[in-house]
Amino acid sequence: MEAGKVFDMSCQEFWRTMPELARHPDQSGHLRECSACAALWEKQRALTDGLRTVAKEWSHLQAPQRVEGRLTAAFRSHAGLGEKSRPERLWVPAAAWFAAAAALIALAMFLVSERQPQAPRHAAPRAMELAELQPLRESPGNELGTGEDSPYSGDDFIPLPNAARIAPNEDVNLVRVEVPRSTMIGLGFEVSAERASEPVQAEVVLGIDGLARAVRFLDE
Amino acid sequence: MTPGLETDDELLILMRSGDEQAFVTLYRRRQAAIYRFALHMSGSATVAEDVTQEVFLALIREECGFDPGRGTLPGYLFGIARKLVLRSLERGRADVPLEIEGEESAWPELAVHDDPLADLTHREGIDALRRAVLALPRRYREVVVLCDLEEVDYADAALVLACPIGTVRSRLHRARALLLEKLHQERNFRPAVGAWKPVRCLT
Repeated sequence: MEAGKVFDMSCQEFWRTMPELARHPDQSGHLRECSACAALWEKQRALTDGLRTVAKEWSHLQAPQRVEGRLTAAFRSHAGLGEKSRPERLWVPAAAWFAAAAALIALAMFLVSERQPQAPRHAAPRAMELAELQPLRESPGNELGTGEDSPYSGDDFIPLPNAARIAPNEDVNLVRVEVPRSTMIGLGFEVSAERASEPVQAEVVLGIDGLARAVRFLDE
Repeated sequence: MTPGLETDDELLILMRSGDEQAFVTLYRRRQAAIYRFALHMSGSATVAEDVTQEVFLALIREECGFDPGRGTLPGYLFGIARKLVLRSLERGRADVPLEIEGEESAWPELAVHDDPLADLTHREGIDALRRAVLALPRRYREVVVLCDLEEVDYADAALVLACPIGTVRSRLHRARALLLEKLHQERNFRPAVGAWKPVRCLT
């Protein structure tokens, strides 16, 4: 029989509705009646078998493992699970950087705030000496930090103005930062103009709220 | 429930309630097909990796709003992947689609030449077919990759490609015809010793 003639359905109808033939047996009976379509169908079937082989050969292809890692991290972050499930070794440096940044910001704010001129001193004051120079205010919220009962009393720690007092059992962080030597001027140290831009290491006591409470300079 | 036996929709519900294991299970179940689709469409492992990541990030962020009533989750994921691949191709202009006039109306004749399909049982034939798939114009390649390689059903493929199911059928038919043509061309270009028969002896 010739292709294109109308049997139960035309060849065009057959191919329009039955491209799945390559997977499923012919339900229409058209292939029994049309040898041309039967030949084409054989080709399609062979092609589909070949494509199936290609699919099998490509089946091992998958996204690299790192994608799963990134997505899992994104999922945790999105679900608000990050701090609970992230490994500690990732969290600690992040916290340290955050604390260091907070300390620098606190020091910067301190430097730009208005200060009463003070007589220059030649040596770093002890905490108790500084307490005498800057008497504690009455308001508890504005009390200077390192009192006698504080673990940071003494040890050259200088309480920062307007910083809250460090309670005896308060969980604080000690962060080492590097700041310009000119920072020391604001705390009453004498710094020559030539050395003002030199870096100096400082240790900053951060309260549980992340705010700087006291500072000491390591190489005065 | 036994991990890994949940349906996609069940995993999605668990995932959206913050269940990380559900997300990982869903990702592991579906990522390979999405990656392969993006790889075959873009021809770039880097693009495929980025696309796979973006598809699942979209799922995490619930940006596109999957509706189980409209289709399956794999279909939805393929749909996002396709958009991302097309965007990537437009940026890189790495794909030059072969426009064929009257695609939807004219049914191609599948030429009955000497049979290149016999080769498909051999290694060489399969390699040729693989090259032919990758060389298909984008609109035909995507339907072959979806329906023939990833075995997405036609209804889902229609949703992925944002076209009627009839268009999926016609494109698939046309794509298969193009594959046969390409296989035939490649076979004819290949030097076949048996084909060089002397017609006339000149000596």
